Amino acid sequence: MTIEVRNVSKSFGAYHALKNVSLTVEDGELMALLGPSGSGKTTLLRIIAGLDQPDSGEVLIHGQDLSKQAVRDRRVGFVFQHYSLFKNMSVFENVAFGLRVRPRHQRPSDVEIKRRVDELLGLVQLDPFASRYPAQLSGGQRQRVALARALAIEPKVLLLDEPFGALDARVRKELRRWMRKLHKEINVTSVFVTHDQEEALELADRIAIMNAGQIEQVATPSEAYDRPATQFVSEFLGFANRLACQVENGVARVGGFALPVELENYAGDAVAYIRPHEIGLARANGHDIAKATIDSIVALGPSARVDLAFGDDRLEALIDRERLAELGLSVGDDCAITITRAHVFKSA
Amino acid sequence: MTAAIARKPFRRWSVLPGFAPALGFTLTYLSLIVIIPLIALFLKASQLDMASIWRILDNPRVFAAFRLTFVASAVAAGINAVFGLVIAWLLVRYRFWGRRIVDALVDLPFALPTAVAGVSLSALMARNGWVGALFAPFGIDIAYAPPGIVIALIFVGLPFVVRTVQPVLQDFEPELEEAAATLGADRWVTFLRITFPALAPAMLTGFALAFARAIGEYGSVIFIAGNRPGLTEIVPLLIVIKLEEFDYRGASVIAVASLIISFSLLILINLLQRRLGEHHERG
Repeated sequence: MTIEVRNVSKSFGAYHALKNVSLTVEDGELMALLGPSGSGKTTLLRIIAGLDQPDSGEVLIHGQDLSKQAVRDRRVGFVFQHYSLFKNMSVFENVAFGLRVRPRHQRPSDVEIKRRVDELLGLVQLDPFASRYPAQLSGGQRQRVALARALAIEPKVLLLDEPFGALDARVRKELRRWMRKLHKEINVTSVFVTHDQEEALELADRIAIMNAGQIEQVATPSEAYDRPATQFVSEFLGFANRLACQVENGVARVGGFALPVELENYAGDAVAYIRPHEIGLARANGHDIAKATIDSIVALGPSARVDLAFGDDRLEALIDRERLAELGLSVGDDCAITITRAHVFKSA
Repeated sequence: MTAAIARKPFRRWSVLPGFAPALGFTLTYLSLIVIIPLIALFLKASQLDMASIWRILDNPRVFAAFRLTFVASAVAAGINAVFGLVIAWLLVRYRFWGRRIVDALVDLPFALPTAVAGVSLSALMARNGWVGALFAPFGIDIAYAPPGIVIALIFVGLPFVVRTVQPVLQDFEPELEEAAATLGADRWVTFLRITFPALAPAMLTGFALAFARAIGEYGSVIFIAGNRPGLTEIVPLLIVIKLEEFDYRGASVIAVASLIISFSLLILINLLQRRLGEHHERG
């Protein structure tokens, strides 16, 4: 089912958490709300769930305005950041909770509840843990209990607040892969909040990148990375070198290179963002357009990060370690650089 | 396996220094303040043989006093548990004008001399008092009757439940209630199945404290009770009466009996509380 957020604003006192935000999540889509802390992503998620009321604007789920509906009638699955499992109940009872609290005439029989809970515990691979208590589980297991509990009510949409935030790196990676697979299986429209861009890029069909209470861009992961819509997105999504430049006649002059840009009717100061892998290195031969000095080289697995002094600016380049060895460059050497691509924005 | 069944070591290794002085201080302190006076009490009582002890206790007046004291204390502590929870709830969950004043009022029964409380309560609850006059036409006596005793005991035990529940409620994650709401639970079900189980151990602690305090309460009760032998006479008063008759052995026998019953009840409450708090503590 689709989620439509229309012109939602929310303030907490003088602090504007959301400023006129609109967003559409397609049926069956897995959408990430990505942004730094304080960007309003959790507030937006809580408003979609009905846990917070927007000051203005509306939220539609499957075309139905839910603004006036109580949380408990919305059938929205919500997974809390710290899972918020019921400590006094076993894993089984946690998952069964949503079924047991239904009004009597809608409540499934005990046999049916048992069947459904067992099925869900199978889905999240926790069948052997049904009689344990939350305190006896690892972080990853608790996370999956929280997920199974949210899925038990057959939610129209599934909302997850920093679902992997409290887990260590290895478990996080495993769970991410598993989650991707699970989403394909159950195909519930889902939105998750994260500040970890790797998580958003790996997991989501589309990413909404948020900053200071607004959505900066909604795009597929590759689109957002290759064609950032705003300066904020270029800076936030992956690392990008920042260079001041001049734009004239649709051409940006960046460090001696002329790159075509989409700012056709603009002339003047601009900022260019260059990804580390979009900077090429070569041995200096005396006829180079741009020269830089190597400050340091850090080996990162198969690649190497080369820190460069480029005039008054500092640049980071990413290059295969093999290629670096072929070039025979080392710390302190002068080298030639080439800039093949840049994202250019008008100076604010 | 052997390691698992090996008995618990007396002292678990800890990086914190000062175990020996802390334990030494605790034992000395407890001995001086609690253990030695109690031993003296037991010694005094043990000067009598079992038959004479039984003769003192097997007496309708003594039995009535015990029943009154423990029943009234339990009722008062139970009422305090419920209303203490309500007050703690109000103080933690809502922000309103005068909240700090209400918060301070809760501690007042600790500070007020209990005799003052007893005198003003009995004036209020007597047949010609403001409250007592409302009940008098129906033939219900509050002052100089068991209901008055319960009211006095409610007064002295009020702060315990509030002050034990308050911090627990403060630390209670609101997300747990939100989670229950997203799963379709209404407020009442959420309270019964999520919030209350988390507060129950603290409530029970408060109940135990209020109960223990009520059993030992003397000052406020004697003014409101009427002190009719066999009807509205409480155990502490009975002990004082024995002392005034220079019957020290009788007094100590009754005191020891009261102590043993209280202690057993408190241990029982403690066990119950452990069972309630089991999964919460480990979380």
